[in-house]
Amino acid sequence: MYRNNTKKVILLGVLVIFMLTLMSYTKFGRVGVSPMESALKDLFAPVQGLAMNLGHRLRGLVSFPFTVVNAADENQLMKKKIAELEGRLRQYEEVRAENERLKKSLEFKTGVAPVMGYELTGAAVVGRDPGNWFGVISINKGTKDGLKLNQVVLNDLGLIGRITSVTGNTAEVLLITDPRSGVAALIQQGRTPGMVEGVASSPGRLKMVHIPIGAEVGRGQVVVTSGFGSLFPKGIPIGRILTTEREASGLFNSAMIEPYVDVNRLEEVMVIIGSRAPKDGNKVAVLPFPWGEGNADLRGRSPASIRAGEQSGVVVR
Amino acid sequence: MRFYLLVALILAALFFQVTLLNFISLWGVKPELVLIIVSFNAFLRGSREGALVGFLAGLFADLAMGSYIGLNALSLMAAGYLVGLTESKLYKDSVLIIMVLVWLSSFAAQLLNYILLTMVDVYISPGVALFNVILPSATYTALVAPLFYGSFYRSNQKGWLYVDSKI
Repeated sequence: MYRNNTKKVILLGVLVIFMLTLMSYTKFGRVGVSPMESALKDLFAPVQGLAMNLGHRLRGLVSFPFTVVNAADENQLMKKKIAELEGRLRQYEEVRAENERLKKSLEFKTGVAPVMGYELTGAAVVGRDPGNWFGVISINKGTKDGLKLNQVVLNDLGLIGRITSVTGNTAEVLLITDPRSGVAALIQQGRTPGMVEGVASSPGRLKMVHIPIGAEVGRGQVVVTSGFGSLFPKGIPIGRILTTEREASGLFNSAMIEPYVDVNRLEEVMVIIGSRAPKDGNKVAVLPFPWGEGNADLRGRSPASIRAGEQSGVVVR
Repeated sequence: MRFYLLVALILAALFFQVTLLNFISLWGVKPELVLIIVSFNAFLRGSREGALVGFLAGLFADLAMGSYIGLNALSLMAAGYLVGLTESKLYKDSVLIIMVLVWLSSFAAQLLNYILLTMVDVYISPGVALFNVILPSATYTALVAPLFYGSFYRSNQKGWLYVDSKI
């Protein structure tokens, strides 16, 4: 009995050590994906895409009963008619929303991107990390579409993340909200530098650290990529400062940031696959907010309200 | 047959976790369906099978994203083992008991995840880990668990998951 237990403990110990070694070997940042992983990811990408599509439709379906709960006293025929009309409206809303998203993407691709000198390709989000610790999404384009490691992912509202793994037909994107993400950034108004980090599982919050003490930092100021280092080009909007505080070391300040992009509700993204000389110079003034000085009426508003389209404008109608 | 059905259930749960569950995330977290199945199975079948199924389920979850392979395998194995210890000690018809068990197993699995992550250089502040991930995740998962327990329990007693022998 005693010998049997000892054997089990030894076996468990070996298993744990083996798994810990495997964890270290496969930890984030390793270069390359094994052929088996690559084949599996490519195989499942279309199925994941279908499921995500279904999810968007189901979300509308689940919310539907709440919209008709007040119609309980109406007769059966009217209910049926209302349900049918609601169904059509929902479909219309879905198509309209998709049309708006694609229109914005097109505007971005033909408006902002050439001015900034970006060459872009669009991709759909087909999956997410199964756990709650990290912020990683899978997209339905890979090396066959010109995607490479460390390429920058964004949309018309701002920065989303960078590619950390790529196969023939899929790629994984490390979101800026992931705690392993770090983006060199600066505050647009005072050109104050800092580092923007993700906060684990936070519903859309970032933290900007290492802000020099004495720098004028306040609520509502816009944070953009600084271009320091080689990964993220300069000038991509990240978010807006919510609060500031002194770091524990006492040497720097830090700030909580609300990102412009709602990374929890992404459906389509764009990847910078190349760059060229900016068209007509860098006409920042003609770009829509938060990319440039245009639509200054949106400047004081929160990214969430811009995303929700509370006010018509170039960003969201 | 039972083993294959369990594997199919786990893969289906994982598939939902990677895709559809993102649309019902609350406080930035989504329920852990895979952990729910591991906990149910361990509660009804004991610690040995609980640990084995937990290990397999965790391995599938690790392979789904391709990094830190072993992270979920170890944490779900531990969760399955711990829940399995209660197999012959608790009343199995109570929804409240299963909710508490799932909450505890999720808490334990996430806590172990946190410790293991620090071992591979992923540092998250303890406060953020506890209040942004561990507690919301355990609570959401425990609230969702009763929706599936009845079906799983009946299937285990006299349905497709019923067999005399253990895996």
